[in-house]
Amino acid sequence: MKRSYFGVIILCITLSMNIVFTQLLVHQYYHENYINVLIYMTCNIILFPVAIFVYKKEKNKGGANYEKK
Amino acid sequence: MTTNKNNSVPKKDDNYTHNINRNNERSLDRRGFMKTLAGAAGVFAVASLPWGALAAKELMGLADKEYPHQKITNVNDIAVGDSVEFHFPSEHDSAVLIRLEESKYVAYQNACTHLRCPVYWVKEQKEMVCPCHHGVFDVNTGAPTAGPPRRALPEIVVHVEDGAIFAVRVKRYEA
Ligand code: FES
Repeated sequence: MKRSYFGVIILCITLSMNIVFTQLLVHQYYHENYINVLIYMTCNIILFPVAIFVYKKEKNKGGANYEKK
Repeated sequence: MTTNKNNSVPKKDDNYTHNINRNNERSLDRRGFMKTLAGAAGVFAVASLPWGALAAKELMGLADKEYPHQKITNVNDIAVGDSVEFHFPSEHDSAVLIRLEESKYVAYQNACTHLRCPVYWVKEQKEMVCPCHHGVFDVNTGAPTAGPPRRALPEIVVHVEDGAIFAVRVKRYEA
């Protein structure tokens, strides 16, 4: 049976980037660098469609004799 | 499902699981996992919106906020080396004023920069200490010197006039 880890790995990476950006965002907020806050917010938001896209693309990969619908 | 004339399921069709296909359980697991990850990314995206909104509000509004000067206490009511707590700029921002020398006062917003516990002035140690996780702050600058906090406490500019001490504004972090 062939497995596809590609999507899982990419999604894990997006999620860890989410965590990092959120951390930076909160810190920048309290440092009052509001422009940076907006930049990190945009990063976080862009990661969401990316994650959805990867999920859509990868969800049917892998598994043995998966019946295509 | 077909029934015979006794209105019961014939023996050979008595199979409740004929339409359950367990072959793809593993691929569904993987898919469910990916779904969770994508969902979590969505949660992060939504959770960062309020921060961005607040930041945008700050950016559009005010470069350096001026609040009405607020009287903290009388000079006579605070001995050298003592501290008083007050609230500035709003009722919900607790702060602490410390009289270091005869005419030297410092004031900080005393919500710990780690997880916002109130920070206290410890006279004997000449340090500000957060009881929650033993964060320690330098009293002259507000900078963290030990423990988990990484950011300095926001300093409040004070002003002495006619024997009373006033809070003027919250200093911005430089850089
Ligand atoms: S809240 Fe002050 S050290 Fe954790």
